[in-house]
Amino acid sequence: MERAIFRVGIDVGGTFTDVAAYETASGQLISFKIPSTPGQLAGGVVAAVAHLGTLAPGAALADVIHGTTVATNALIEGRGAPTALVTTAGFRDVLEIARQSRLHLYHPRDPDRPLPLVPRRRRFEVQERVNIRGEVLVPLRVDALPALVEQVRATGAVAVAVCLLHSYRYAEHERLLKSVLGEAFPHVSISSEINAEFREYERTNTTVVNATLMPLVRDYVRYLERELGSQGLGGRLHIVQSNGGMMTSGTAQHKPINTIMSGPAAGVAAARHLMRRLGLPNAVTFDMGGTSTDVCVIHQGQATITAERQIAGQPVRLSSVNIESIGAGGGSLAWTDDVGALKVGPQSAGASPGPACYGQGGTEATVTDANLVLGYLAPEGVWGGSIRVQPRLAVDAVARVGERFGLPLRRAAEGIVDIANSNMLRALRLVSVQRGFDLRDFVLVPFGGAGPVHAGRLARELNVRRVVVPVLSGVFSAYGCLVSELRYDRVQTFFSRLDRETPATLAAAFRAVERQALDELHAEGYAPEAVHLRRSLDLRYVGQTYELEVPLVAPPDGLDPQRIRRAFDALHEQQYAYATAQPVECVNLRLSATIPTAVPEPSPLPDGRPGRALVGRRRASFKECGAIDVAVYERTCLAPGEELRGPAVVEEAWSTTVVYPGQVLTVDRYGNLHITVQ
Amino acid sequence: MDIDPITLEVARNAIYSIAEEMRFIMMRTAHAPLFKEAGDLSCALTDAEGRLVAQGRDHPIHLGVMSSTVKEFLRWMGDTPLAPGDVYFTNALTIGGNHLPDVKAIKPIFVGGQLLAFSVVLAHWPDTGGSVPGSYNTKAREIYQEGLQMPPLRLFTAAGADRTLMELILLNVRGREQREGDIYGQRAACEVAARRVEEVAQRYGADVLRGCFARFLEESELRMRAAVAAVPDGVYHGEDCMDHDGIGGRPYRIAVTVTVRGDVSTFDFGGSDPQAEGPINTTRFVVQSAVYYAAKSLFQPDIPTNDGCYRPFDVLVPEGCLLNPRPGAPVVGGNHETSRRVVDAIYRALAPAVPDRVTAAGHGSGGVVIIAGPSYVFYEAHGGGHGAGATWDGLSARQTTLGNIMNTPVEAMEASFPFVIERYELRPGSAGAGRQRGGLGLRRAIRLLDDRAQLTTMIERTVIAPWGLFGGEPGRCVRIRVNAGRPDEREVSGKANCSLQAGDVLLLETAGGGGYGPPGERSAELEAADRQEGYVE
Repeated sequence: MERAIFRVGIDVGGTFTDVAAYETASGQLISFKIPSTPGQLAGGVVAAVAHLGTLAPGAALADVIHGTTVATNALIEGRGAPTALVTTAGFRDVLEIARQSRLHLYHPRDPDRPLPLVPRRRRFEVQERVNIRGEVLVPLRVDALPALVEQVRATGAVAVAVCLLHSYRYAEHERLLKSVLGEAFPHVSISSEINAEFREYERTNTTVVNATLMPLVRDYVRYLERELGSQGLGGRLHIVQSNGGMMTSGTAQHKPINTIMSGPAAGVAAARHLMRRLGLPNAVTFDMGGTSTDVCVIHQGQATITAERQIAGQPVRLSSVNIESIGAGGGSLAWTDDVGALKVGPQSAGASPGPACYGQGGTEATVTDANLVLGYLAPEGVWGGSIRVQPRLAVDAVARVGERFGLPLRRAAEGIVDIANSNMLRALRLVSVQRGFDLRDFVLVPFGGAGPVHAGRLARELNVRRVVVPVLSGVFSAYGCLVSELRYDRVQTFFSRLDRETPATLAAAFRAVERQALDELHAEGYAPEAVHLRRSLDLRYVGQTYELEVPLVAPPDGLDPQRIRRAFDALHEQQYAYATAQPVECVNLRLSATIPTAVPEPSPLPDGRPGRALVGRRRASFKECGAIDVAVYERTCLAPGEELRGPAVVEEAWSTTVVYPGQVLTVDRYGNLHITVQ
Repeated sequence: MDIDPITLEVARNAIYSIAEEMRFIMMRTAHAPLFKEAGDLSCALTDAEGRLVAQGRDHPIHLGVMSSTVKEFLRWMGDTPLAPGDVYFTNALTIGGNHLPDVKAIKPIFVGGQLLAFSVVLAHWPDTGGSVPGSYNTKAREIYQEGLQMPPLRLFTAAGADRTLMELILLNVRGREQREGDIYGQRAACEVAARRVEEVAQRYGADVLRGCFARFLEESELRMRAAVAAVPDGVYHGEDCMDHDGIGGRPYRIAVTVTVRGDVSTFDFGGSDPQAEGPINTTRFVVQSAVYYAAKSLFQPDIPTNDGCYRPFDVLVPEGCLLNPRPGAPVVGGNHETSRRVVDAIYRALAPAVPDRVTAAGHGSGGVVIIAGPSYVFYEAHGGGHGAGATWDGLSARQTTLGNIMNTPVEAMEASFPFVIERYELRPGSAGAGRQRGGLGLRRAIRLLDDRAQLTTMIERTVIAPWGLFGGEPGRCVRIRVNAGRPDEREVSGKANCSLQAGDVLLLETAGGGGYGPPGERSAELEAADRQEGYVE
């Protein structure tokens, strides 16, 4: 008998490790959750694979695609490796001066300002200088390098970052340093390989963050590969990157910084994949968990990408999905502030003790407790595999909040939910207004445990007309690992007046970047024919200090400067409501090289008899109609095409969908729930 | 009116969200670069009486400006009726003005025929006319050289734009298309805010919303009063000086007497020097901004910004002094230089009252350097060291107090200007010693590659050093030199206007912050660390 061969997506979270896997021949999909081992991220992956082995005995693994927080956690907890920095003479303090601004204007100490990751004593200068055109003004003093190696060694650094001025234009000095330092240190990261983009502080810091993560991520990846090998299941390991695509484990060791948004990006990748399948180009993801909520705009089939973000207070430049995160979730606590106002969050009861209704010692009311009081969540049974919920404790906690303000129980519960929703509305409005999107043209895609409870109400407030609760929403990030494509993004600063370029000169400029990308993929076993290239240019009007990224269509048309100019003007008009006749200049070339992942069509739900899903009725409260009996449905028993009228509740193992009065839910052939909002 | 706690919170989120959205709309629709890079704009909502209710991510220099603009506007308007659709524009110094480039758009918001609120957008225009491009004339002796002064002008009504007034403005400023874009951008942000306020009012009722406004102010007032009450009662006096006004050589004194009595306090600037001939004068609204900044940072930094915060404070500024000059005086530099010295004088006064929160003096200057060549104008603001506090060393190479503008990267400078930057680094040894030392200044060396260029500086703390506190030593002064270490080395003043040749190297060294406590009390551990990191010489 042939062995069943699986691709496996694994997302390791703080509480649970989520797994989604499909058998490559039949397309059969398996998904499950197992508890994570605190402090042992790699252990979660190994346990997940072992569990898959028990579900499908004798299975082999083709690919393991993993979303990980190992690098992010290390940064947040300050566990990066001791690192040294080498810069051009005169500029070793760029890392400390940063952009000379403060985070907190009114706190003289600026308490949250992160310290530079490399202290001054470990920052070294080399005599060399290159100008803006890439011409060498001062050659690198090679004879001084042996002494430099000794100085760096004496600091105890195990990793070295190198960032020289204008190295995005001329990388030879950095490469030379890499070869010399590489003899002495196992981890050397040079800025021209990590972020070949001008503006030296951001490039330096990005390279430094990368270097501090290299030892840790290398050990993590090697441990996983060894463990997967020892289980005899085989399988190539891939890691999901911040841009929502995956990379090989080899690339992850060189560019560990690319993993920092791994988990959340996988959720966005899943939503993008699903929305493409459904033919819905514009969506807002709404991932509401216990302590925070992540939102991200998908526009015309692509997740919006940002080229710069902060992680643990450190600004870094890398391509990542543009997720806004706010401190509001199911575990957010209701509390009274110093002047007697009712607040919800950002403090959270977390997983432990958790909401009052968990009966694990939490006594303060949370959003989850309020949802339970309102009848949105199941008052009996076991939640999330292990929690036996105690509604009485939720009622007591919410009632205490009510007493403080003279509010009856139901009004207090509604109030907690309303305030939490108003916090989330603020974030949702900002992600859309910032980029000039009108949410009326978007669908809301909720996932995470609490997302589908709140989505219907938020959609109404935002004038969003449709909510789509995806299948597999309980393991959505793991599913995102599974459907993400191999993707390498590159950037190369390229200063030039657009009107002085021709299609041939632009093609030549892109060719160097394309060659690097294709070589990298070739080394990993991918033929150039399999690679899909997407090009874009960062452009601005001469004299501006910020750029807009303009996607180019495929060559030869895509490289026509006049066509690019028109596209830039149109984008500028959309984002800033004006365009001018001023000349335009190029600042960066961007290239995205992808290898599509073959994802089987999901199997449609078996045709079923509608009406089998009704499992009971319970009392639930809505502002529109007060407390009434509502129908409760079991999601797994819903039939394709089935239609439910709100108010109603749809339950599944890891989440609950609330259909508000006046809303209509329909089930599509794959089991996604579509809620029409009036 | 009694507002239920849930409505209060939901309305609060909605109103704050509007103030934040205004900012994004402004950045998207106006001539965007300056605002995006420098963040030099402020957006706010006030109630019908002009009391500040909510301000977007606020710019400290605009604190007092935003809380006074609509009140002064209403006083100026008198009985002139306001109507839906009106949008007024003004930069008049008497209408909450700070300096002429900061132009405010003001729109009344009506619900059910009743005035409910105002939306206000302040934007720094890159040019408002006057004798030099950019309207930044460090040698101005009268305000007429600084640009066009606009009393409240009704540029828009429900019927559309007033072409005559619009033309009057556009004929008197440089960059006509861009300025027109700014005007429409400011109007768009005001209009969108008005629509959203109307939505919220329709949902909860205009009276409920008025009640919410009042409650927001009350909450901030309660918090600020509690914070002031925690400060020991007393009469505290402090002084600091401006180096000079760029015309005469003598320093200008800023004096303040802070009287704290229970939960209120008075800031009296009597005894400050008369107005200056050069543009280091400033307006009483900027003085208010500086007072509010100092009070917020010393008493309670986290109070939401609105008029309630300021109710416990009285600010007295005699007419004719450099903090409240007679009409016609130049003010362009006062906005970012004199304002900072007002904060320093207040810090010095209150040091005995709040020794655990105050800091010694820092760089305290915008550090503005302008290099104008035949085909370019380079403008940059430089940070420096902060003063030390009771338990912490001062921040190094940062913008101080009221400002927070970012630097221009070295690689960006070399891409846009004929310069080679030879160094951009900390200035070891510049910090004032102390139990806690000040922050380090920075050092930037710019070599001019070709052509002659004109150098303009507007930098303070070149003569009068940032003082230390409680035995801490002062930080080192700002020093500006051309061709340092060469035979043709020369010193440059902090308010200079001189020419540079190709090959000249401008070396700017910014001030270090003052120390806190006697240097002898610094721990051996910290001293060793400073030596190891090379922060001391």
